[in-house]
Amino acid sequence: MITAKNVTKNFGHASVLKPLDFSLKPNTITALIGPNGSGKTTLLSILAQIIPSTTGDIQLDGQPIQAAHIGFLPQYPKFYPWMNGYEFLQFVGGLHRMSKQKLRTRIDEVLQFVGLADVGKKKITTYSGGMKQRLGIAQAILHEPKLLLLDEPVSALDPMGRRDMFQLFEQLKQTMTILYSTHILNDAEQLTDQLLFLKKGELIAQNTLEQIRAQYREEQFAITFLTSADATHYAAIFEGEVVGNTLFISKESGQTMPSLMRYFADERADVEKLEVRTTSLEEIFMKVMI
Amino acid sequence: MMQSLRALLYKEWLDIVRSYKLLWMPLLFIFLGISDPLTNYYMEDIFNAVGNMPEGFSMTFPDMTAETILLASTNQFQSIGLSVLVATTASMISRERQNGQGILLYVRPVSTVQIFLSKWIVASALAIFSSLVGYAASLYYTILLYGTVDAVGAIQMMATYSLWLMIVCAICLLCSAAFSTAVAICVAIVCVPIGVMVDQLFGTYWHYSPYKLATYGAEFLTKTSTYFMATCMLSISILIVCIVLGIFFTKKNRQRVKSEADR
Repeated sequence: MITAKNVTKNFGHASVLKPLDFSLKPNTITALIGPNGSGKTTLLSILAQIIPSTTGDIQLDGQPIQAAHIGFLPQYPKFYPWMNGYEFLQFVGGLHRMSKQKLRTRIDEVLQFVGLADVGKKKITTYSGGMKQRLGIAQAILHEPKLLLLDEPVSALDPMGRRDMFQLFEQLKQTMTILYSTHILNDAEQLTDQLLFLKKGELIAQNTLEQIRAQYREEQFAITFLTSADATHYAAIFEGEVVGNTLFISKESGQTMPSLMRYFADERADVEKLEVRTTSLEEIFMKVMI
Repeated sequence: MMQSLRALLYKEWLDIVRSYKLLWMPLLFIFLGISDPLTNYYMEDIFNAVGNMPEGFSMTFPDMTAETILLASTNQFQSIGLSVLVATTASMISRERQNGQGILLYVRPVSTVQIFLSKWIVASALAIFSSLVGYAASLYYTILLYGTVDAVGAIQMMATYSLWLMIVCAICLLCSAAFSTAVAICVAIVCVPIGVMVDQLFGTYWHYSPYKLATYGAEFLTKTSTYFMATCMLSISILIVCIVLGIFFTKKNRQRVKSEADR
């Protein structure tokens, strides 16, 4: 269990992080969500102990957390281009004082895990962006940390790369606590146990995905017509909103699915689709942030 | 403790091997080392061949001794050799901090002492190795063309010069730890090659200065310098101060490592 108590950060007079309190349960994945400039990278850097916090402390099972227990992947990991992947991991293992035999088996294991086993002996300059990101994961998990911190791990990847990355996270979750920042909400929706919403250095929501959904969810009817003229025509009757060919009617209007179906059937309107839509995480994000 | 230092040393070693520094630094010092004995010896022939001197022109060349030739080689190291050494060493810490490579190093459980010492040890070792092969090349041609020199004196000269190079590397790394790369190189160039020049111009007014180490070292070939021991002590103290300050500034600026370096 990782707990952060009263963590703040000031740069000069500017307060970048307001007092933050949160905890991360073992074997869970938490997404840190917030717009650019909300303090995500600052918070991760403090957790990774690259920069000191102004106040507050971070504990692992009641003890102050140590660098040896942390794995960190920065947003743009920079490697020494004249090294190969294997040598870099050897270097990292040496810094973590891993024994020679242990390190050798662990490097093979980790390279296999991230799918770089074939190119381990190739210079890092020849790696593609996705491969560098994988090497970034490899260096972060080599020493089997308790807390894995990832700064925008998937933002720069293509959809395939993203899917692969999430498959890795799913497996890594078995042995460690993961905290990653993102602004791509579809990603956060996929496999996140907990969400932390950060806005201008303040933690404005902290909950599981289900709880946040329940808290902000709003259901509405969405009726898609063949023409937008129809949508506008019926919008006047139901006092709904029109987006393109679709008419949105709030559930508070007292309508039900059968009543709407009956109405439009009687009208012989050119309805293409009639559905109940729940608020997407994207819409919740906009609601929470604004 | 030892294992992380060993990993850091191995990384710095790989760096100088892969960037061919291990090859061209000694080559530069060899070139500087052989230039004085050869050009001085063949000066007359060179003038005759390419000088376009008028008929009847005559010129007397001083009789050079082996010792003056070695002092001339030392001066070559002091000007060109040091400038190149400063330019390559004064970016070792600041570059990692600025381009984001340092972040994957600074998140590890490694102490600042280890980071600084690993760089200082490898930089000094490369500089000393380069100067030794440079002196060896200079000695080879000097002995061949001008006669033998005192072996013990030559060893003392090289050892003294090695101490000076250790100080130079410590000063460069101190600058690199304290400033950004561009500023660090400027300050280090003022401190080292320009400092040497100033000492050569006005140095007659004082006797105790690390800038004089190289000169006193070369004097071992003919006599024992009266001021050597005190200068040596002063230099070692300055070396220790530079290392301590360098470690302090590396630690102080550790949090300034860029996490969002240019992509």
